[in-house]
This record gives sequence, structure tokens and C-alpha cells, in this order.
Amino acid sequence: MVAKPSDTGSVPNIDAAYRPTHDERARQGFVGVLRAHSSRDMRNALEHRYRTQIAPAVERQEGQAPQTSREIGKLMDTDSYYRFHSALRYNSQEMMYLSVLDPVERVADEMIAVGREVAESRPAGGTLTLDPSLEMPRYVTALDVHLAPGSFHSEYVDDDLSQGAMLAYGSKVGLGGHVYRHGDLGVIGQSIGYWLTQKYPQFKPKRVLDVGTQSGKNLFGYIDSYPEIEAHGVDLSATTLRYGHARAEYLGKTVHFSQQNAEFLDYPDGYFDLIVSSFFFHELPVAATQRILKQCHRVLAPGGIMTHMELPSHADCDAWNNFYWDWDATYNNEPYYIQFRSQNLVELMVEAGFDKERCFTTSVPNFETTDPADYPRFLSGQLPPMDHGRGGWFVFGAEKTV
Amino acid sequence: MTESSVKFPRHTKGKRPQVFDSPDIDQMMTFIIELTTEVSVLSERLNTVEHLLDARGTISREDIENYIPNARIEAERVESRKGIVKRVFRMHGDK
Repeated sequence: MVAKPSDTGSVPNIDAAYRPTHDERARQGFVGVLRAHSSRDMRNALEHRYRTQIAPAVERQEGQAPQTSREIGKLMDTDSYYRFHSALRYNSQEMMYLSVLDPVERVADEMIAVGREVAESRPAGGTLTLDPSLEMPRYVTALDVHLAPGSFHSEYVDDDLSQGAMLAYGSKVGLGGHVYRHGDLGVIGQSIGYWLTQKYPQFKPKRVLDVGTQSGKNLFGYIDSYPEIEAHGVDLSATTLRYGHARAEYLGKTVHFSQQNAEFLDYPDGYFDLIVSSFFFHELPVAATQRILKQCHRVLAPGGIMTHMELPSHADCDAWNNFYWDWDATYNNEPYYIQFRSQNLVELMVEAGFDKERCFTTSVPNFETTDPADYPRFLSGQLPPMDHGRGGWFVFGAEKTV
Repeated sequence: MTESSVKFPRHTKGKRPQVFDSPDIDQMMTFIIELTTEVSVLSERLNTVEHLLDARGTISREDIENYIPNARIEAERVESRKGIVKRVFRMHGDK
């Protein structure tokens, strides 16, 4: 379901300011294909080589195949195919952002002007609450996460939202070669929103919080699933929130954006019926995750549901998949990846105050690529869950006891 | 054209990991990948010229800059890009 622009057309479409040249578009298109080739096609070929040649050779020599991702890492680090895959994948990630820097920079002032206009008129009734005194934690500022110059948070002028736009367009370039990711709607919010309506048909959440929301696009999926819901998103980064606010108002989606550190949420106890996030916790040290989960427990109403989409844990994957997933820790400036994936997520939620029997980890079918006829069979367990990133999304969460 | 007040950095904060035995090889891979991208961009610009000539018999620079392929032609371009990647980055031992 694609979001429609506001009927009144009363604010400009901020994305319409972005006008890459013919050759810039051609470059972006190529980078998307290169990224898909390296992160999907070469990945599949590598796995095939590992399972059919490399692991059996080790087994013949030493009596057993490699048991840990570290052992596999030692073998693969000097493997040429793996090295070329890493070089192509790393370069295409860099180029994803490099290919949008010029076209965004050219129109940054125009976009900032649109942002200011939208923040004044707010035709969809959403809000933007910023905190200029908020300190950025080191886990945001120390490295350019995902190789994005300026990381999540950099601002260069007053009311800046250019970094927010740059990150959004860069991600889109990177996803250009993937078959099931396209369009404006955040696929995670779309998939989990639909899953909630099917798995919990009596659940009628009045208010949702998206933690680490950036531009808020995943909230649209929850608004589509629950049209009366009051949608809130928090993030450390003012630039992504400003960009998200401008987009949401144009698209007629009422979203309340608030610049906060999720470790210290300023909402009252039990304020939300639904708390969500997407690929958020692996960016943080576990100590921050623990504090944020405690906050989630506090602001979640009894009977409410918390669902976070994330990478599957080490315990859920075999040695090869752990080796492969952990690539980003070294090559994508994601230093907390491995620490996060080694956690027992149910234990973390119990520490945060949730009852163990109400905690869950599962795979949610990707909305766009799942036949609705198959959906009930996924829910009942008749169909096996789809692998994370290959038709399914790993989630961990809990229901808060009434 | 007035200069934008925003200037993005063009470098990434954080140590670049080394993939090959020498960082010079990592550097050379970047040269090759960027060069391949240039080839793809050039071939698409030429492809645009060809489509415009088919349609009009004569073209201007503005025609090229404003050209936005329809969905069918964009899909053909995606296949061409994939073709370049497949040929240029052909791995020894691939079947």
C-alpha cells in the first residue's frame, strides 16, 4: 500500500527538490546492482563454496568441519573469493552515499526551506519536538556508522535536514537491486503491522512508539494497519526527524516526532500500547540496550506489546551464518554488532521487567513477498519460518502482563 | 549558481579495514570498481541518445539531461547493469 500525498497539496513535497542529473541517476542505478551482486549473489556463491568444498576439505583433514564462526573467519580471510566479495561490497556501500552527496548538497537550502514551511503549517497535525541541548552519545559520534559520512546526526546549518535526506536517498540506492524492497513504505512496519493484526486480532493499540525512528517511515505501516493509532517516533538525530516530519506532513500521515535519547524517555508510565523498532539495538552497546528495554517496559501499558526487528542471535544461527552476518562488525563500522548478537534476548527482556512466559522471538513474514493464503500456515507453524532477510524478519518482543 | 550552505564531508570516519595482503590492492580495487561504474554511466548516456534519436531524429543536450526512461527501458537498463557486473567481475572458477 503506497502512501498518498495530502489532498490539499498544502505543503510542498520535500523529495521533489531532489533532482539528480542523468548521469547521477545512472551511477546510483549501477551502485545498487553492484551492491546486490556482492551482498546477495556472491554471498550465495560463497556459501555454496563453503558448504560443498571448504568445509568438507577441513572435515577430511581434521575429522570435523569448522565449529565456530571464528574458525570459519580464519579460513575465509585468505580466501580470494571472499576477499573480492568484501572489496565489492565495501566499495558499493561507500558509493551508495557518495552517489547522493552531490545531488543532495545542491538542493540542501531548498529542502531546508521546505522543512521550515512544513514545520510552520503542519497540515497533517503531526508535531516535531526538538531538544538542542541533547548530547549525542559516543556510539553515534565515534564512527560513521554504515560508512555514511557524518553518521546519523550531523547538522551543518540551522534547521538542517540534509543529512536526513542524504541517509534516506543513500539507503534507497543501496536497496535498488533487491527484489522485494521498493517504494516509500517502510517494509518492516508494513510487515510487522500486518503480522500483529493477524496474530493478535483482538489487539487494538491506541498509541505506538517507534524507537530510533529516524525519518519515521516504518510508522506508516502501523498507521495503515491501525488507522486510528496515534503514532510517535523518537530519535537522537534532529536532522532525520526534521526530514521525516516534512515527508509525513506532505503524505498526510500524522506522526509525532520527538528528539530524545531512548535511554531516558520522557513519556509517562504505560503511555503506549505498542512499542516497535527496526534494526536499532545492534547499533548500541548492550548497556544502552538494557536501559532502553527498561524504559520500554515502563512506558508500555499492561496488555501492550513490544516488537523489535533485529538481527538473529548467534544462538539461532549456524557457524557459517554467524560468520557471514558478523561481516558488518568489521566492514560496516558497526562495532556493537557481535556483542548484541551474542545476547540472550529473552534474558535481556526479563531483566527489563517482562515476564519470561510472555517473551518471544520469531520470524515475521515479509509482507510484500508473502502470499496471504500462506499467512495462517506461517502463524500456526505449519510452514517453516523464512530466514531473516530472505522472506522473513527476525523479531524479539514481549507482551506486558495485565 | 549560488553555493549551497551545506558542505558534506566526502570521507568516512573510522579506520578503513584492509581486505587484501597489501592496502595497495584494496586501493586498486576501488579504481577498478569506479572505472566500471563510469563505463556503465557512459553506456546509459549513449543509450539515452539512441532512444531520443529513435523518437525524434535529432536531439539537444537539454533533451539528454531531461530524459527519464519509462519503466520498460529502466528495466532494460537494470539488465544491462547486471550484464556489466557479471562480465567485468567474472570470478575465476565461476561456472
